Amino acid sequence: MSFANDGPKKTRWTKNTVQIFCMALAGAVFLFVFAYIPMFGILLAFKDGDKELNILQALLTGEWVGPEHFVRFFNDYNFKNILLNTIGLNLLMLAINFPAPILFALFLNEMKNKRCQRAVQSVAIFPTFLSWVVFGGILIALGDVNLGIVNPILRGIGILGQDEYVNLGEAKYAWFMIIVSSLLKGTGWSSVIYSAAILGVDRDLYEAATLDGAGRFRQMWNITLPSIAPTVTVFFLLSVSGLLNNSFEHIYVFQNAVNLSMSEVIATYVYKQGISNRLYSYTTAVGLFQSVVAFILLVASNFVSKKITGKGIY
Amino acid sequence: MKQRIAAERPPKKKKKITLFDAVLYTVMFLFVLTLLYPLWYVLIGSLSEGQDYNGGGVFLLPRVWSLSSYQVVFRDSELYMGFLITVARTVLGVVTSLLFTAGVAYAMHSRELPAKNFFHWFNLFTLFFGGGTIPFFLLIVSLGLYDNFLVYIVPGLYSVYNMIVISSFYKGIPYELREAAHIDGASEFTVFFMIYLPLAKPVLATVGLWIAVGHWNSYYDTMLYTSSKELHTLQYYLMRIVTLSSLPSSSGNLPPEVLQDTISTTISYAAIVIASIPVLCLYPVVQKLCFSQGVTAGSVKG
Repeated sequence: MSFANDGPKKTRWTKNTVQIFCMALAGAVFLFVFAYIPMFGILLAFKDGDKELNILQALLTGEWVGPEHFVRFFNDYNFKNILLNTIGLNLLMLAINFPAPILFALFLNEMKNKRCQRAVQSVAIFPTFLSWVVFGGILIALGDVNLGIVNPILRGIGILGQDEYVNLGEAKYAWFMIIVSSLLKGTGWSSVIYSAAILGVDRDLYEAATLDGAGRFRQMWNITLPSIAPTVTVFFLLSVSGLLNNSFEHIYVFQNAVNLSMSEVIATYVYKQGISNRLYSYTTAVGLFQSVVAFILLVASNFVSKKITGKGIY
Repeated sequence: MKQRIAAERPPKKKKKITLFDAVLYTVMFLFVLTLLYPLWYVLIGSLSEGQDYNGGGVFLLPRVWSLSSYQVVFRDSELYMGFLITVARTVLGVVTSLLFTAGVAYAMHSRELPAKNFFHWFNLFTLFFGGGTIPFFLLIVSLGLYDNFLVYIVPGLYSVYNMIVISSFYKGIPYELREAAHIDGASEFTVFFMIYLPLAKPVLATVGLWIAVGHWNSYYDTMLYTSSKELHTLQYYLMRIVTLSSLPSSSGNLPPEVLQDTISTTISYAAIVIASIPVLCLYPVVQKLCFSQGVTAGSVKG
């Protein structure tokens, strides 16, 4: 994070420095209002502000209730499911969605026909630009029991008997739908950065390897992969630091009345309880709990990353 | 870039198709098919006659063609309202956010900025800590932004992440340019608007593209921060039709023969197609941006 240039420390107030000071100050004022003030709002988690009409007043003058809201959440009959879904989905998505674009970029690079390569890349990137409503809606339609194409295909290739069917709307397929959808939507776009890194690899290395008799898998494993390792490390740490920030818009689309036990995550729970049921204090506490878990995961993965690659976020 | 590297390669004398190639091309073909077929599926579904479609088995072409689903959606005034709101928030949001963020980036990049360290940390801190959904909601309500069109614009005015991306691009602009302009008597505002903004076009295009995609596709803020129908965005309208299967509000005053030809599924497909057409039309432009240097500049080093 070095957007700062090291320059002279002495401040000379001229017309120009006043101008840039004002510009930087505008950004700081914005952050104060939209980022720092909400941090004080966390106090609401320890106050009694549920169902209040004026939440601001509840925050300022509400009664302190201690950890009551946290205890209530831990005792919620859904607590175990929600926690398991939030952490499980995130770790699985990290484990599957992080390596997928790297593999995709590696194999895309192996397509020697440039026109084909370009065409595949164009198609792969496209879903990134569709909204979750559109993309999720289409995938749900494809899996529809009566009209969708998933069941006929499964019957066609013999996985299902003629009278059997799978209902992808059921709870046991919720994780599958959420993970597969993010894989299909995100892989192409995320691979762009790795493709760019692969283009920068010295071509002489491949020639030398070919002369030494290395096959294509050997070249991918021993030349391409080590060459893009720095990029991979950076993006791994970035995706770890975004852990638990699972996108509300993504998961909400895949929720239905019967799969909530496997699809409810903290973000959607907070929306339903907080905004729809107006349990402001309670859901602030739930949100705070999520931040704490995310922080613990971040510290843990940073520790692991330092052990394995010698690089950490901090 | 790609062509240059391709040219450096020794020309192949004979093309050999190995097993590896065969498997690779087949897998890639299947992947492309998996991504393209769903779009086709929705398109033919939207063009199908509802009762017939309900019988199932429409996978390649509609058995009975019908435009009724489109008639239903196109008669809905909420569609146009949503489209208008979405276009307005996208255009306004991108322009204001780019100007504001690029301006702050300019100041943060400047060597003469007083209290530079303070600003630096004040910005970075927010990347790691935040208040959460409900405190932010509370803030929106307290500021009077709830159920106000400005809620789409103001909170997105500035982003620390974009500021960092833009200022890392500024680093490639010779600082002497700025100093020379100052010697000629240009103020900081003049240098920013006349020199930095035009020079930063590639990065502004990329960042702007991402802000625009975010605006176009968002329905979360509509759900959270608005209550009146007039502020519904296109994606929110779509979300209601697709996931809640609520019929368009126009369906009450449509002739029965039109409604007869549709079911809620075909209507939702028609809505999906209509909402995706602008994205599809703009994709070639977007793609050019993707493959220009902008996207990867500053993110890959070495």
